[in-house]
Amino acid sequence: MKLATQSTPEYQLITTDGRPQELFRGDAPCLLKNRLVWTAALMFKNNVKLHHIIMALNMVTRRALALTLQQLSRQQTAAAASTLSKIGNREVVGFGFNGSPAYVDRVDFPMPAVRFREDTPDVQVLREKEMGDWKKLTLEEKKALYRASFCQTFAEMTAPSGEWKSVLGVTLILSSLAVWIYLWMKVFVYSPLPETLKPEYQEAQLKRMIDLRANPVEGTSSQWDYSKGDWK
Amino acid sequence: MFRSALTRVSHVARSSMLDTSARVPAATVSRNMSKHSTETDAELDARYEAYFSRPDIDGWEIRKAMNDLCGMDLVPEPKIVIAALKACRRNNDFALAVRFLEAVKEKCGGRVKEIYPYILQEINPTLQELGINTPEELGYDKPELALASVYE
Repeated sequence: MKLATQSTPEYQLITTDGRPQELFRGDAPCLLKNRLVWTAALMFKNNVKLHHIIMALNMVTRRALALTLQQLSRQQTAAAASTLSKIGNREVVGFGFNGSPAYVDRVDFPMPAVRFREDTPDVQVLREKEMGDWKKLTLEEKKALYRASFCQTFAEMTAPSGEWKSVLGVTLILSSLAVWIYLWMKVFVYSPLPETLKPEYQEAQLKRMIDLRANPVEGTSSQWDYSKGDWK
Repeated sequence: MFRSALTRVSHVARSSMLDTSARVPAATVSRNMSKHSTETDAELDARYEAYFSRPDIDGWEIRKAMNDLCGMDLVPEPKIVIAALKACRRNNDFALAVRFLEAVKEKCGGRVKEIYPYILQEINPTLQELGINTPEELGYDKPELALASVYE
C-alpha cells in the first residue's frame, strides 16, 4: 500500500551554486545503511561540512547514526580504560603516536603520550623549581627533569647496537661448518670416481676424438696438425 | 508491506520531531581535488608559529603540534623552534624543550652538520633568554645510559 508522495523535500541544502538540493524524499525505498552512504556521498560530492550533513539527515537515520556512534564510543572507552589502568601515577601529557596513553621512544614521534616516570615527591620538588627561572636549575636537576619525562635520549635511541658483529660471526661459523660437512661427505659418503677419469684414459679418449676427426672445423681436431702428428 | 509500514512510522516520527526551522545554511567550503596540499612554505611556517605563540596553549597541544611537525618532510624554521620553546616555557616544561631540540637535530637527517649549527645560531638568543640548554650542553649528544634489552 503506497502512501501519498510528498512533493516537498523535508530538508533542503543550499549548495555552493545557490540552488536548493533535494536530499531524498520521504518515500524513497532505501535501506538505512544505503541511505546514510548515499547521503554522505552526495554531501561530500558537493563539499559540505560534516555537521551540516548530520543536521540534514533524516530523523530516523540520524538516530541510527547516534546509536552506532554510542556503541563505538563505549568500545573505545573500554579499550582506553585498560591502557589507562596500567600507567599508574604517570601524567598523561599528549596524544603520542596513536592516542593511547602509552610510552614509546620513537624517533618519528618524539613526544610520547605519558611521562616516563611516575609523579613521586622528588619529582614534585623539581616541578616546583621548574615553574621558576630555568637559569636557576643546576645541570643535575635539568638532567633529572629530562629523565623524569623521557626514558632514552635520541642519542641512546639511535645508538648502534653492534648486532652486526654477532650476525657476521655466526654466518661465517655456519658457512665453515657447511664446508666441514662437505669434506666429511667426500671421505665417507661419496663413492670413488670412475676409472675413465684417470689421465691415461682421458688421453686415449682425446686420441680417439682426433682419429675420428671430431669437430674438424673449429673444435678439437682443427687444432691438430695431421701431417705433423702434433698440435698446431 | 513492511516497507510502507516503516515509511509510515518514519513519517509519524519525523512529523512529531521535525524541526522545520532548522534549515541548513549555505555551504561554502573550498575544494581540493587531491590530497596534495596547496599551502606554501611561508603559510605553513606562519601557521605553526601562530599556533605555538598562542598564549593559552596547552601541553597536550604543544606535543601534538610537535609530533605533527616532526612527521613532515622538513626541518622546522628557527622561528617555529623559537615559538615552540617559548610555549614550553609558558607551560613550565623544560624536558620538552630539550626533547624538541633533539627532534629538530634528528630531522636534519644526513645534512645535520650544515643545518643544525645554523638553527642553533639562530635560536641562541632565545636559549640564553629562557635558560634552555642544548642537548650537547647536557651531555645528551652521546649516549649516557644503557637500556637492558627485553630479549635477554
